[in-house]
Amino acid sequence: MTVRRLLDIFTIMERFEREGTNGYALCAVAAEFMALDGAGIAMISDSEDLTSLCTSNNAAGALMDLEITLGEGPAVDASHGDANEDTNLLKESASNWETYRPEAAALGARAVFGFPVRLGAIRFGALSLFRTTPGPLNAEQDSDAYLMASVIGRAILSTQAGGSQENLVGELNGASMLDFRVHQAAGMLAVQGSISVKDSLVLLRAHAFGVGCQLSELADRVVSGSTRLDSESREWIDAPEIENNE
Amino acid sequence: MERESLLIATLVELADNLVDDYDVIDVLTVLCLRCVEAVDVDAAGVMLASPDGELQFVASSSESMTVLELFQIQTNEGPCVDCFRGGLAITNHALSETDGRWPLFTPRALAQGFRAVHSLPMRLRGRTIGALNLFRTHQGLMTDDDVLVAQGLADVATIAILQHRSTIDAGTLNAQLSNALNSRVIIEQAKGMIRQSTGCDMDEAFNRLRAHARNHNEGLTDLATRLVTKSIDAVNLDQWAKPKGP
Repeated sequence: MTVRRLLDIFTIMERFEREGTNGYALCAVAAEFMALDGAGIAMISDSEDLTSLCTSNNAAGALMDLEITLGEGPAVDASHGDANEDTNLLKESASNWETYRPEAAALGARAVFGFPVRLGAIRFGALSLFRTTPGPLNAEQDSDAYLMASVIGRAILSTQAGGSQENLVGELNGASMLDFRVHQAAGMLAVQGSISVKDSLVLLRAHAFGVGCQLSELADRVVSGSTRLDSESREWIDAPEIENNE
Repeated sequence: MERESLLIATLVELADNLVDDYDVIDVLTVLCLRCVEAVDVDAAGVMLASPDGELQFVASSSESMTVLELFQIQTNEGPCVDCFRGGLAITNHALSETDGRWPLFTPRALAQGFRAVHSLPMRLRGRTIGALNLFRTHQGLMTDDDVLVAQGLADVATIAILQHRSTIDAGTLNAQLSNALNSRVIIEQAKGMIRQSTGCDMDEAFNRLRAHARNHNEGLTDLATRLVTKSIDAVNLDQWAKPKGP
């Protein structure tokens, strides 16, 4: 299922690039992929503020601005916690967004959804989605939202590592969305270079892109100790190849 | 201990865990370890489907099991993959070089000393959410009682994932699966940090993490998060006393 839906994402990304629609604006991809009326991506800045990375249309932009100004809404909650939703902004509901709800409704939204964009303990922000009609997401849209959030997290890392779209597609096509070796390697590099795990994940990608190897191969070399970061210069050091005569 | 008393002890331990606030990965790890004691198998592991339907490793009784589980995910082949796809138990499948069912998996498993595999589906209302995998270093049939107990433990694993916070619906189930898998990512990042800081191997890094979490009554994921966000240093974790082998 993942493979099929990933291909759908790639197809939309490629078409946007062909049409020159802002490179591959991921929020527009998300809205089209999930057949919703708009999507936005909110990022947590270094100072822990929420900022808008992109929005798929004017309404999505206005909703995102509203949320950021008020400090309440689906993306605000999802960026620090779990997925959440308000499936009918005009009805009494369980969501606590007292100020946000009527104003979001005035902007035309009837149902809003927030999904965390995260990778392990690293919180990037949130994917925010809305529809002009009330009601919950269907089962496939709900699963798709998790896939899309995961794609966005990896796209952010890949972009920060200076990767091209080919690099990103290569990464997304990798063996596993949650390649544990890569995370173990990131933990090791964080200690070697006294950097954050997030920076380690970016550095791993940048190096893999630079030398043209698979991320998982590089991760294996880090875990086995044959490639490491110098603690002072943070340069990559490859151990000399050991002849294997077995 | 007699099998019956072992089973009672296991059920009491798991039930005790589940009525309190618990860490999903910790409970699933305990479940794998107890499987090895209560059922006639040598290694156990749990795989879960991510919300988008991709199979992922979450817990195991040993690092060699982990490696085999990850190998199945990478190659998209093996007993767990078949069990998950078909939603049907695979029991008493003897591994041999002439068996062509899993051409990539079987040689790997044989090389690690395994001779028979079993995989039991983790099911919830018609949806298979994962599989409990049991590997044995000797051939011969697993008794009907063993299969019954193992399926019971697989069901407990399903409950552990679902009960981890509130009600059951499609959206919530996806959130639970996503959280369980994300916890595992945090733990892998933390393992890398512990390994680099203390020079131990990945197996011991995990044991140290568990030991410290247990000693200080802290959730495994919470402790791993503190390591990754650098609010605790890996060198300050409690030492882990290697159990004396037989």
